[in-house]
Amino acid sequence: MKPVTLKVGLILAAVVTVAVVWQQWPKTPPPWTDAETATLKSLWLESLPDLPEDRSNAVADDPVAAEFGRELFFDPRLSANGSISCATCHQEERRFTDGLQKAQAIGTTDRHTPSIVGMAYSPWQFWDGRRDSLWSQALAPLEDPNEHATDRRQVVGVVAQDESYREAYRSLFGELELVADSDDTELNTAFANIGKSIAAFERTLMPTSSRFDDYVQAVVTDDTERQAVLFTDAEVRGLRLFLGEANCLQCHNGPLFTNHEFHNTGVISFPGEVPDKARVAGVREVLTNEFNCRGVFSDDPERRCSELEFARTGVDLIGAFKTPSLRNLENTAPFMHKGQIATLAEVLAHYNIAADAMIGHNEAKPLALNGRELAELEAFLNTLTAPVRCVGDCP
Amino acid sequence: MIVTRSALYCFLISAIFCSLAPDVRAHGGVVEEDDLCVIKVNYLRAHFKIYQPLAAGLEQYCEDLPVASESIFVMEYQHDSLSEMEVDFRIIRDVTGKGRFARIEDVDAIPDLEGATVYYRAPVIEPDVYTVNYTFAEEGEFIGIVSATQLQTGKVYAAVFPFEVGYTGLGYWPFIIGLVLSIQFQYLLMSGRLRRWFTNRQAAAASLVVMLLLVSPLTFAADYVVTYTTPDGDPEINRMHSWILHIKDDAGVEIEDAVIDVEGGMPEHDHGLPTKPRVTVDLGGGDYKLDGLRFHMSGFWEIVVTISTDEGTSTVIIPLQL
Repeated sequence: MKPVTLKVGLILAAVVTVAVVWQQWPKTPPPWTDAETATLKSLWLESLPDLPEDRSNAVADDPVAAEFGRELFFDPRLSANGSISCATCHQEERRFTDGLQKAQAIGTTDRHTPSIVGMAYSPWQFWDGRRDSLWSQALAPLEDPNEHATDRRQVVGVVAQDESYREAYRSLFGELELVADSDDTELNTAFANIGKSIAAFERTLMPTSSRFDDYVQAVVTDDTERQAVLFTDAEVRGLRLFLGEANCLQCHNGPLFTNHEFHNTGVISFPGEVPDKARVAGVREVLTNEFNCRGVFSDDPERRCSELEFARTGVDLIGAFKTPSLRNLENTAPFMHKGQIATLAEVLAHYNIAADAMIGHNEAKPLALNGRELAELEAFLNTLTAPVRCVGDCP
Repeated sequence: MIVTRSALYCFLISAIFCSLAPDVRAHGGVVEEDDLCVIKVNYLRAHFKIYQPLAAGLEQYCEDLPVASESIFVMEYQHDSLSEMEVDFRIIRDVTGKGRFARIEDVDAIPDLEGATVYYRAPVIEPDVYTVNYTFAEEGEFIGIVSATQLQTGKVYAAVFPFEVGYTGLGYWPFIIGLVLSIQFQYLLMSGRLRRWFTNRQAAAASLVVMLLLVSPLTFAADYVVTYTTPDGDPEINRMHSWILHIKDDAGVEIEDAVIDVEGGMPEHDHGLPTKPRVTVDLGGGDYKLDGLRFHMSGFWEIVVTISTDEGTSTVIIPLQL
C-alpha cells in the first residue's frame, strides 16, 4: 500500500471514530420548550385536581368514617380464619402492594395486588374495572373465597359485636340492627356502609411530592441551577424519552401517570393459565353488580352514573387492563396484572418489543430504543418515588 | 408470514392436479389468509393461533408446535355467532394414519375416540374469545377438533386440524422439492395455457373496475357539515364532557330529526374512544347534545359522526388535535 493511501485511510478512520463517539456521547440536554414545560406541568403533582366527590358514598369525606375504615382495613377478624385483613395484601411498607406475583390470602387470587394509593381518582376499580367505586370494590375481596373468604353476614356481625365499631357505625349510619333479625336489604345496607367506611379511609391514601415534582417546580420557575442539582443528565434524557419517543404519555398521563383507562399491551399469559380476558369481562360485571352506582345502595338519589351510562363494551376490550400509576414503583415489583414481569427493566424491554398480543390487539407499538435509552428511561421512572401521604396513626 | 404446512401441501397437490383437486377442507380446518391463520368451522371463521409461552414467549404458531410444552390455543371470532354457540375442543393422538390429510370423516371413523383423546374441553359458550391451555406430555402427531353447536337448531359444525408437536425435521423440504417438480410438470403440460389465463384475469379486473365506477355514485348520500361547540370548556384529556353538534347540509339547511351515531378513535394508535358517547337530546334547529365523550390521550383523534335521515346516511369525520 502506498504511504499516501495509508495516511488518507488513517485520517478517514479517525474522522469516522470521532463522529461516532460524538454521536453516541451523552450530551447536556437542551432547555425545555414551552410545549414541553406545559406537558411537564400536566404531570406535576401540584396539578392534581381536588379529589372527585363520590356521590354514591355519603360518608366518603367524613373523618369519622375514614378512621372507622382504617381500623376495618387492618382488622383480620374480617376473614374466614381470622388471619386476613385488607392490609395482608395491601401492605403499607410496600406502597399497599405485596411483592408477590398473585395475591396470597386464604387462597391464591387471580391477579397481582394493585396499589390503592390515589385510586380514589379512578372511575374504575380492580385491574379489569369490575367495580365503579372504592366502596363497592372493598366489599368484593371480603367475600372472595381466595381472599377473606368470609360473607356479609359475618362481616356485619363483627362490627355489631365490637363495641367501638358499633359506636362508630351508629354515629355514621344509625343503629346497627342485630344480624339475626335482619332481612337481606338491611344486611346488604350495613355491608355497603362498611365498604363506604373503608373507602373513606382509602380516599386519604395519596402520593406525595417526589424528586420529579421538585424538578418540575424548578422548570416552571426557570431555575436551571436547581434543575441540575435535582436531576442527572441521564434522568433528564429519560424524562425526554418518556414525553416523546417512548410513547409513555399515551396512557401514563396526568399527575398520577395514569389515564385510568383500559389498554391491551400484549403481556404474556401466566404459566398454567389461558390469557386473561380482562376488561371485556370486567365491564359486563360492573354493569350488573348489585353495589354499582345505579344500585339501591348508592347514596345519590339521582343516580348520576355517567361512567356506567357511557361505558364502552365489546371485543376491543379483550385483554385490556387498567393503566397503573407510575408514581412509587419502588418496592412494588413484580409488575403487570399477574406479576408476570419481575423488574422494571424487563417491563421496558417488553414495551420496546411490543409483540402481538395473545388475545385481542396490542395497542403498544415497538419502540426500538437502545440499551442506554432504556436505562435512562428507568432512571427517570425512579425519580417518581416518594412516601405515601401519612394517614391516621402513622409516625 | 404464517404458512401452514398442510396448506402448502394442499397447494402442492392442487398444483399437480391443475387445481382441480377436491377441497380437503370442506368441513373446516386451519388455513392461511392475508398473513393470518384462520380456522373455518363450516362457514364460521375465527383467527387461530397457538402460543407456547413457557418455551417461546409471544411467538405465534399456526399449526405445528416445536416442542411438547404448555400450549395456548386461541380462537378470535370473526363471526359473532360463534360467541353465542357452545364450542368444545378436543385434541387426539393421530390414530387415523392420514397425517395432515385427516378429515372429519376419518375422525368420525375412529372406534375409540375417548381412548385417543389427550385433551377435551366440554362445550361452553365463551363470549369474546375462545382459549384453551394444554400441556403436551410428548411429541407426536395430533389432531385438533373444534365443534360449535348452534343452540336453537342443534346444528353442529366442526373443524379438524392435524398438527405436529416437535417437528419431524423434514421441515419444508418435501414441499420445496415437490414444488420444483410440479412447476416442471406443469410447464411441460400446459405451456400455452398460462398466457390465456393472464388475459382472462385482466379482463375480469377491468370489468370489476367498470362495475365499481358505475356503482360508486349511488353509495354517496347528501353531504353534511358538522360543527361543534363545547359548553363545558375546551376538550381536555381524562374528563368526561359534552359537545353540541350542529348539523347542516351543504346548502346551509339545518338537519333536524336525524339519527346520529358517534364513534371515534385515534387512527395512529388503532384504538377507539374509551367511552361510548351518544346523542342524548335533539335540541332542535340542527343542534344535538352529545354526552359521554372522553379522550384519554393527547394526540390526533377523529370523531366519526354518522347522520341518518330520510335522505340517506352520511358520515362526517371531525379531526381533533389534543
